[in-house]
Amino acid sequence: MANRTIPRLLQTPAVLLLLVWMLVPLGMTLFFSFIRYVLNNLRRPEWTSPSIENWRGFGNYKFVWNQDGFWLAIQNSLLIVCSILFLTVILGVLIAVLVNRSFPGRGIVRVLLISPFFVMPAVNAVLWINMILDPVLGLQGIAVGGINEVIAGLRNAPLIGGFFSLWPELNPISFRATQTSAYAVIMMVTWQWTPFAVLIFMTSLQSEDQQQKEAAILDGAGRWSQFRFLTLPHLGRPIAIVVMIQAIFHLSLYAEIEIVSRGNGNKNLPYFIGELANNNIGAASATGIFAVILANIVAIFLLRMVGKTLME
Amino acid sequence: MGRIALNKVKKVFGDVEVIPPLDLTIDDGEFVVFVGPSGCGKSTLLRMIAGLEDLTAGAIEIDDEDVTEVPPSKRGLAMVFQSYALYPHMTVRKNIAFPMRMAGIDEATQNAKIDAAAKSLNLTDYLDRKPGQLSGGQRQRVAIGRAIVREPAAFLFDEPLSNLDAALRVGMRLEIMELHKKLETTMIYVTHDQVEAMTMADKIVVLQAGVIEQVGSPLELYHTPRNKFVAGFIGSPKMNLIEGAEAEKHGAASIGIRPEHLTVSKSEGTWKGRVGVAEHLGSDTFIHVHDTGLMDMMTVRINGDIDARHGDTIYLSPQVDQIHRFDAQDLRIA
Ligand SMILES: Nc1ncnc2c1ncn2[C@@H]1O[C@H](COP(=O)(O)OP(=O)(O)O)[C@@H](O)[C@H]1O
Ligand SMILES: [Mg+2]
Repeated sequence: MANRTIPRLLQTPAVLLLLVWMLVPLGMTLFFSFIRYVLNNLRRPEWTSPSIENWRGFGNYKFVWNQDGFWLAIQNSLLIVCSILFLTVILGVLIAVLVNRSFPGRGIVRVLLISPFFVMPAVNAVLWINMILDPVLGLQGIAVGGINEVIAGLRNAPLIGGFFSLWPELNPISFRATQTSAYAVIMMVTWQWTPFAVLIFMTSLQSEDQQQKEAAILDGAGRWSQFRFLTLPHLGRPIAIVVMIQAIFHLSLYAEIEIVSRGNGNKNLPYFIGELANNNIGAASATGIFAVILANIVAIFLLRMVGKTLME
Repeated sequence: MGRIALNKVKKVFGDVEVIPPLDLTIDDGEFVVFVGPSGCGKSTLLRMIAGLEDLTAGAIEIDDEDVTEVPPSKRGLAMVFQSYALYPHMTVRKNIAFPMRMAGIDEATQNAKIDAAAKSLNLTDYLDRKPGQLSGGQRQRVAIGRAIVREPAAFLFDEPLSNLDAALRVGMRLEIMELHKKLETTMIYVTHDQVEAMTMADKIVVLQAGVIEQVGSPLELYHTPRNKFVAGFIGSPKMNLIEGAEAEKHGAASIGIRPEHLTVSKSEGTWKGRVGVAEHLGSDTFIHVHDTGLMDMMTVRINGDIDARHGDTIYLSPQVDQIHRFDAQDLRIA
């Protein structure tokens, strides 16, 4: 017994620190979510300080639950996170498999591939929405304009002109609009996080057993079968890791949403919480607790799904 | 059928010629062992036959058909790797089924073949396990099962027993020989262990630095090694090789005498030496003899035991008709 006491004693500060680190914010959020607590209310000034006297029970939760914005935010959160996960995993696997072969300049290509990951999220959003996706000045505007000009030129060409005169003029898409802003966010975050997936998958591919591949070749497996039956199962665990880490990160996206459209049409849960927190801390805290629950559900669900489909 | 012929087969890696042009014929149903020290090109040769490695020059024929440009899966050969190379995410059943699945064979046939293979390899109880849950010997049997169900023209084994412990190795050795007797399919077996080669082979191919030193049955190699390398490589303990004046007495640049062809006496004999370490195996004793003035250390093998202590003086006499003579080019003098 005695020889265990000292190690335990020495561990205590670290354990305590971790507990405080996690439990205090969570405890405070829980507490705020059960009281009326607003930053500014002229009629009821007693609500502006957090106090147990202002106990509201599940009132904040009911209030949030009954708001359309809350459900839209959850929908948007799921749409954005799931789309990004889907795209980054598929692109990541494809690129990793391609880059894993040897070709001249592979070193440089690998470094370039990783570089988007080092761009700050806010800068990434500014770059994409202004320089790439802008319907007039961005690459998109220029490209659409260029295509329209080419088509217009072809209309007067002999023979094929008749065919092209039927084509409508293309319109650039405005990615700050309510209907499209979520897609802009998905695109820019996918661009930024695909390198992360590539990096992890590439490391894993390098530990792939070459003799297994040779055995499969002798067994008559073509390129696709080797990929499907050897490489993909081998990548099962790294894919689960990528999905897990990204799910946690992307559920809390904020900067991109703020910069693309100030939440117009693509509010996710953090953004919704942020807006509530401008005044109603109680409701914001209740939403925060909902967000914690959602994150756990998503994590468990995704892990199960990835594990099931790939490991077997 | 599984007659394999190598014609002027050559392999160069970068600017290193690993296999200089080489000719070899393996008859249908033969158990051929490629043996040689590590790095001599045995695996490379086997992989070229399998099609996993391109030939720099030359041609390979299977059953009189040139397969040099035929992809590995179409050559009708099955290979068992040293690391087993099982598919870790699949059960034993799926591992064995894999080649049939790739060939598009229907499930009923697949299952019948799997069950037959599993029965003959004692794997029936393990069909639903993953390779990670099996012992080394069981994994090796799964790898063999995966090869059997393809009904190949020839089996290729690349040091299949190297990862097993000594006791298992002897058991698996027998199983593979048993399998060969039963299937009567050509087998090419690569090993660096001359004991495996001697015990298993119909025909041994001794390789050194990519060059075939000798091809022959185990006893041919034992009794009439073509050169000094084969003489030293085949047989355990190693043959004693003596150069200089003593060899000249026999009209040779060097002579060789196997440890089992020396007679030992404590009082008289041709050569005199001092007893070093003795290894007692019970049935046999290997005695290492020093200070003979002929070579560094001579090994003698005697039946049973002898009362000789470390440091004692001992006399050795070769059985004259068992002396191997080699010329200055290390070739055997008939
Ligand atoms: N892919 C390769 N590239 C370059 N050299 C190789 C390659 N594979 C084998 N070698 C060389 O060829 C020689 C023979 O190798 P190997 O056939 O594996 O020998 P063994 O199986 O007899 O031990 C070794 O010197 C090895 O370094
Ligand atoms: Mg080898």
